[in-house]
Amino acid sequence: MLNTLSLKEAERKVFRTTFLDGLWDIFIGCFFLQFAFAPLLSSRLGDFWSSAVFLPIWAFLFILIWVIKKSVVMPRLGSVKFGAARRAQLSKFTFLMLGINIIALIIGFFFAMRSNVSLGLIYSATMGFMVLLLSSIAAHYLECVRFFMYGCLFFLSLMVGEWLFIQYKIPHHGFPVTFGISALIIILTGIILFFRMLRNYPLPEIDGNLQDKSHVR
Amino acid sequence: MSVKKGNSIEIHPLADIDQIIHAPARLMILTYLFVVENADFIFLMRMTKLTWGNLSTHLSKLESAGYVTIEKTFKGKKPLTIISLTETGRNALRNYKSNLMQVLDELPD
Repeated sequence: MLNTLSLKEAERKVFRTTFLDGLWDIFIGCFFLQFAFAPLLSSRLGDFWSSAVFLPIWAFLFILIWVIKKSVVMPRLGSVKFGAARRAQLSKFTFLMLGINIIALIIGFFFAMRSNVSLGLIYSATMGFMVLLLSSIAAHYLECVRFFMYGCLFFLSLMVGEWLFIQYKIPHHGFPVTFGISALIIILTGIILFFRMLRNYPLPEIDGNLQDKSHVR
Repeated sequence: MSVKKGNSIEIHPLADIDQIIHAPARLMILTYLFVVENADFIFLMRMTKLTWGNLSTHLSKLESAGYVTIEKTFKGKKPLTIISLTETGRNALRNYKSNLMQVLDELPD
């Protein structure tokens, strides 16, 4: 019973339910897929449009996840409004992520201005490090270790891709292969988590147990 | 306050322990409500692993004691029950914890 009095642990347990359904994992996996497909489109659409073409897909995916959360997840898991301390922590997290993204954008712009093939590995290493930093912060603040693993996968996809390109001259820096495999791993993780959630949390029987009050003191 | 009399221990704070909170299920409910602003019925059911009927009964007891507020609304066509801890409930849980800790701390090893 004293374990129940650990308020900190109770709060963490409540917060961890946010990522129980695997939907954000599927979203992140799709983000990885963009890095697998964009290089394939760049010869036809150019560097900008080969990435920009995915924006409507992102919007669609975001709406789809929101709809699934509302119509499938919430009736099974319920909803909760977190306490003030957690909301303050999430705000801090959002600003931190925004700051690092802006820095990453500036670095990316700097590299774009000095477009040079020999910079490929340095560029990949820098971007990989930035994503690893973002994922570490996300894993810490959102208390979800998987996000750190995804950051590692991103870093590895970039580095292994560059290595494949240097060693075997695999086209598009090997990104379609490395990011494709990483995306598959992450999307599969998300799908497994989602179906596990569906199995473990069926729709509650509202009237079925109303008479079950035998051990209420 | 516990007073040692020879080998026997007289534990007064036990009498002060809030019997409404002392039931494990209600203690669980209050603990979860303590750390959030509010939660709906299904969420509490999932967290506490209580059945619909049990949770409903325990919540009614807590509501009668003034420890929680239960707001019944509709979200579209579906009923939605939002539960939150009152200030009285928050203070009661704090007192319960300190009373229980006091009793347990003063028990001999």
